[in-house]
Amino acid sequence: MVETIRVNLKVNGKQYVLDIPPDERLIDTLRYRLGFTSVKEGCGRGECGSCIVLVNGLPRHSCLTLTATLDGAEILTVEGLAPEGKLHAIQVAFLETRGVQCGFCTPAFMLLTKALLDKTLDPSDEEIKQWLASAICRCGSYHYYFKAVRKAAEYLKKGKILFDEKEVRKNLYKLPLLR
Amino acid sequence: MKPLAGGTELLLLIRDKKIPTPKYLLDLNAIRKELSYVKLEEDKVRIGAATTLYELSQSILHKDKRYAGFVDVFYGFATMAMRFYATIGGNILSATQYNDYLTLLTVYEPELVLVSKEGERRLTLEQLVLDKRKLAIKPDELLKEIIIPVPPENTSSSFMKFDRRRILIAGVVTGAVLLTLNDNVIEDVKISFDMIREKRVPGRAKKTEEFLRGKELSEEVVEEAAEKILPSEMERVSDWWTTAEYRLDMSKVVLKRNIFRAARRIRGGK
Repeated sequence: MVETIRVNLKVNGKQYVLDIPPDERLIDTLRYRLGFTSVKEGCGRGECGSCIVLVNGLPRHSCLTLTATLDGAEILTVEGLAPEGKLHAIQVAFLETRGVQCGFCTPAFMLLTKALLDKTLDPSDEEIKQWLASAICRCGSYHYYFKAVRKAAEYLKKGKILFDEKEVRKNLYKLPLLR
Repeated sequence: MKPLAGGTELLLLIRDKKIPTPKYLLDLNAIRKELSYVKLEEDKVRIGAATTLYELSQSILHKDKRYAGFVDVFYGFATMAMRFYATIGGNILSATQYNDYLTLLTVYEPELVLVSKEGERRLTLEQLVLDKRKLAIKPDELLKEIIIPVPPENTSSSFMKFDRRRILIAGVVTGAVLLTLNDNVIEDVKISFDMIREKRVPGRAKKTEEFLRGKELSEEVVEEAAEKILPSEMERVSDWWTTAEYRLDMSKVVLKRNIFRAARRIRGGK
């Protein structure tokens, strides 16, 4: 019999009580146990940053975290940024600056942006660099992401947090493709 | 049994089968709050072993120029995301050659407090870190605290990691300097590198320190220390990453830059 450990987790606002093997990684719990597939496994050793989620509001590599150590923690993945049918300002900013290419790393970058903008709405260029450098984007969308952080900060400063998804998608086609 | 704090090193070692899989992992999260602090006392700074890098960056260590090297280490250490949960104690106990906090702390000559149920014991860094991945820590002991003596007023430090990119890399040469100036005279200087000779863990360049001590700080003196004295005590090794010659050359550069940066910082510059 495999021994299990009981863990209380709040994921995207919903409370879960899980009995998990002590060696289960957070990424496996999120992806395979709870179905939050926005969490991606790249290198599995804390280098690429694709697996970053927010634990108690701070970025954390879910591939280097044992779920058993997180009893009572609050976890946020991209699924929890906005309710069904809505988009969070950060998501809108990423779409509008055309930052998303293949999309594999995007959830991690969005969560890093969220954690950064929770700390300050006026991040310096150096701060944005430091924070975004936690993840790697192989399409090379870095400079778009840079703009996206600035744009998201503008939206949030104006108090615009949630956007209607349909509205955003409709307007997206009116934007020029490249700039 | 292995204690688990941040887990950024331990879980990788297990995953890569570099160490035998421990039967038990002891999660330190329950007592992490107690072991996470930076306290300034009269003549010493006490750092809890489970203090994360981010918590260090919010403390006195990042505000006082006497600890400027800590800022250097912070911005070159892994990535921002990892700095939120990697701990200083965990970094020290990984006991590798290119170990940022070991290289930096070597110049501060800290005392390390180990606890077990028999009580406390205090070791210096040289007593604790015997060689690469070899520690004088017993299986039932836990690193509790790092105690740094407060350096004199006109002191500053500098840490430099040299490699092909700025973050998420071990470095091919790392070095730190703690410099105390009296006007322009080098009152005291402590120099460390990722290795000096034989032992593949950070150590002190004591001959170079002796040469510099008491001398007037000038381009010529530092040049002589780096070009003549340092190579006489340093023995570099070649490996997959780069050659011994290149490492020695870069060590000289790192030494010079570190000394002048520390001097600039003492005078209020960057």
